[in-house]
Amino acid sequence: MTQDPKPPSQSTALIKALTGTPVGRERLQEVITAYEPILSEIAKLRELDLTEVHPAIIFEPTAVYRSAE
Amino acid sequence: MNSTPIEWASLKELGKGLAKGHFSSAELTQHLLNRVGRHDGAIQSFIHISEHALEQARASDQRRRLRNATLGPLDGIPVALKDNYLTADMPTTAGTTAIGVAFPMEDSACAQRLRAAGCILLGKTRTHEFAWGTISPPVSNPWDIERIPGGSSGGSAVSVAAGFAPLAMGSDTGGSVRIPASFCGTVGLKPTFGRISRVGIVPHSWSLDHPGPLTRTVEDAAIAMNVLAGYDPRDPACQDQAVPDYTASIDRSIRGLRIGVIDNHFMDRNTSDVQAAINASIDALQGSGARIVHFRVPLLAYGLAAIYAIELASSGAYHDRHVTTGVSRGYQKDVRDLVEMGRLISAVDYLKAEQVRTLLCEEFRRIFEQVDVVVTPTEPITAWKKGRETVTIAGENESVLAASWRLTYPFNLTGLPAISVPCGYDKEGMPIGLQIAGRPFDEGTLFRCASAVERLLNLKHRPVLA
Repeated sequence: MTQDPKPPSQSTALIKALTGTPVGRERLQEVITAYEPILSEIAKLRELDLTEVHPAIIFEPTAVYRSAE
Repeated sequence: MNSTPIEWASLKELGKGLAKGHFSSAELTQHLLNRVGRHDGAIQSFIHISEHALEQARASDQRRRLRNATLGPLDGIPVALKDNYLTADMPTTAGTTAIGVAFPMEDSACAQRLRAAGCILLGKTRTHEFAWGTISPPVSNPWDIERIPGGSSGGSAVSVAAGFAPLAMGSDTGGSVRIPASFCGTVGLKPTFGRISRVGIVPHSWSLDHPGPLTRTVEDAAIAMNVLAGYDPRDPACQDQAVPDYTASIDRSIRGLRIGVIDNHFMDRNTSDVQAAINASIDALQGSGARIVHFRVPLLAYGLAAIYAIELASSGAYHDRHVTTGVSRGYQKDVRDLVEMGRLISAVDYLKAEQVRTLLCEEFRRIFEQVDVVVTPTEPITAWKKGRETVTIAGENESVLAASWRLTYPFNLTGLPAISVPCGYDKEGMPIGLQIAGRPFDEGTLFRCASAVERLLNLKHRPVLA
């Protein structure tokens, strides 16, 4: 495993910038720690080649007209 | 009216009793309020009791007397609503005490439908904060108050299991109706996505949230669905589909019914007590003429990743204003962590989760070309002692959240209807649930199969309250 070249404070600053999270750096570190086991699960999605699959959520331009009835 | 004590009577029995004048709605409501007053201190299922319930019940009695007719099978019957359903005459908190969170005093679509059917809104039941968890503190399981009731609709399941209300509404984003139903020994239905309007329910995850009823019998769930199901143009997900009479074929024989069993994911990591109860239920169904077909769905290995990505991103978006303004600092730690990590989900991971969801829907469509329903355990475990963060199942450690929704979330991802019906008890007397899932908008077949399970197993135990 390669070593992270940035100290933790710089890493959290980068994550803050990338995600736009408003939480403070110290709190962000706590959130990241809580997220780690979930991330290892979500990372499984990255193994899949889903190029030809349409996402389940489908844009429906007529929806707003229906709700205005 | 038979000899069933009124607090344990079914909706059907209560409806008959009211119609024949054996008791009034005011007497029934007062009886249940007294019971809540005596026993709910120890189990904490209600967060708010309506100060208008008796007044509503008296008005209901008067209306029935004057018209000499009822509004239908729920007329005059007290029901409870999870505290994430907006109500015009009771406050809504969605289980949070965070300062800066407020909800309007107006009726949700379900509250409107229940009131129009003549129901008495008894009170609001406790939920895990923002329906984001499976513990529902401080609610206790009425079968053993040292144990959790499940969640997030824990208060609703407990109110039904404890004989406080014959019907309570819950909401189910990853299993939140079926999990507490299984742990508390009640029936819990998550209908097809779009079958019941979500208008006026505090959102958790827009494409996963399903309203659903908790009852003590399968027939009661069908009776409730006759009132709750239907199109609502205000809900963009609600489908304009005909509403059948869900009670019509509930007693039909299951001879020839084709039942699917998915051997991986659902049947390979359960406690021995759960597995034994599920196997016995499947044997009983087979013994009544159902045909069992086995499947494997390897794609389920990606289900947890998909629901985490969708649910975290969605709840992150819903709570973003509260995170930005610091209001989320007042949330409970577990829920605060979950909503604040929403920003960490990348858009690509989110969309890949939605792509996996398409594949899962296709996989289940292929299964439902060959069978009428799929049966699984609702939960791999029974209710655990409060304070536990992990459980050991078949020698493997798992977080309680991951374990408790493992068998239920596939039907939130696919939007398919799924019901939990009691099917036995573990060695310590805690209830076990059987989950039955079906084709979109085919709740009728679920009721038929679940009702057969109820008849075949004929479980009669009830929790004993202190």
